[in-house]
Amino acid sequence: MEIKQEVVIRVKVNGSEVNATVSPEESLLEFLRDRVGSYDVKCGCKQGDCGTCTVVLAGQAVKSCLVLAAQADHKEIWTLKGLENDQLMQELQNSFAKHGAVQCGFCTPGMLVTAKSFLEDQPNPSRGQIKAALSGNLCRCTGYKKIVDAVSAVVVSRAGGCV
Amino acid sequence: MSSFTYIAPMTVEETLSILHKQGPMARVAAGCTNIMPEIVSKKITEGVLVDISGLDELRGIDVVDNKITVGALTTINQLIHSEVIEHRATVLWQACRQFADPLVRNRATLCGNVAKASPAADGVVPLLALEATVNVESLRTGKRELPIEEFLMGPGKTALKPDELILSVSFQAAQELLGFFIKFGLRKAMAISLINIAVVFELTGKTITQPRIALGSVAPTALRARQTEAFLRGREITPEVLSQAAELVKGEISPIGDLRASGEYRLHLAGVLLRRAIEAAMA
Repeated sequence: MEIKQEVVIRVKVNGSEVNATVSPEESLLEFLRDRVGSYDVKCGCKQGDCGTCTVVLAGQAVKSCLVLAAQADHKEIWTLKGLENDQLMQELQNSFAKHGAVQCGFCTPGMLVTAKSFLEDQPNPSRGQIKAALSGNLCRCTGYKKIVDAVSAVVVSRAGGCV
Repeated sequence: MSSFTYIAPMTVEETLSILHKQGPMARVAAGCTNIMPEIVSKKITEGVLVDISGLDELRGIDVVDNKITVGALTTINQLIHSEVIEHRATVLWQACRQFADPLVRNRATLCGNVAKASPAADGVVPLLALEATVNVESLRTGKRELPIEEFLMGPGKTALKPDELILSVSFQAAQELLGFFIKFGLRKAMAISLINIAVVFELTGKTITQPRIALGSVAPTALRARQTEAFLRGREITPEVLSQAAELVKGEISPIGDLRASGEYRLHLAGVLLRRAIEAAMA
């Protein structure tokens, strides 16, 4: 056991193995953008307030600015780009477009990753539960209504109803 | 070259020997929801990041007899999904459901919230009302069990020594008691509480016994309102008694004014929330 100046990590990002040497205090967000080139992971506040850097780490949606890159060693990470062929993600993306839930678009990757992760755990949520699930993701354009509408519509359509 | 270094011990024993050697240079990192913003804002500019996220022995919730122990790596989200916490420490469960936001709750730990010692910490206030103990260990002094009231020493200050590691927090199950937690923030998620309050008490008929009242964001540390507790003990709960208690509680807190609210408003709020919390616990 030794104290390291640099940390060698091996992670799986969107299904591909990545080997890298990271600095001790480097965030997972910095690692994903600067070393992996995952620019779909947006950098908003860097302090855990805005949620736009949300990714799925070891099966859980997290704010990647609040994780040490070193802590991702031997873990699997999924960003929006890696989830594009996922059926549920495609339904969410189409619904976001249809409901005008994207304005400037900066919060959208985080919103989509959070929404997908949430609906996988809870396929039939109430509107209130959707709002609570998205409460860590800030949007400064839409007033949230259209985003909640878009997620609700996916829930309804999956349950066999009309959108 | 970074002024930080990194080490990821795999056992508590290894961790303790690292903390012993590094002392104040060591920065224990688990969920990292506190430390990452501190690194980014340069509140912390150097140190050995001791990543304890691999210490599986500190994960989980144990119940022995009537005592509940929450390991240092247990996340807020795990507490929300625990039936033990929901039914036997409801006041803590309620606080966890209002803690930060769902993404942060996937990473943040209850013990990290205790270690950070924010006067507004939503995880600390219910632990005060549950009369929790903070269990710590070092190579030098072995294991210590500190009542949480003694553990909290000021804003960001605790009784934890630089070579000590928090192992867990524990408290007696409170399923026989009534309790309620209220967070009053400016928005529902990711809000620093203007005031938060937890009440835990026993009700015999309409008479309150063993009241415990804890408040956050009203003094340099979250605290117990002992005088108000003494006033309520053995009294029948009536609207008059609740108004008197609401007045009394203002006398034992010293809230500051800041960008979120004035001190006067927080005083007023403390009385209102005390009444609401007791009424909600009885409902």
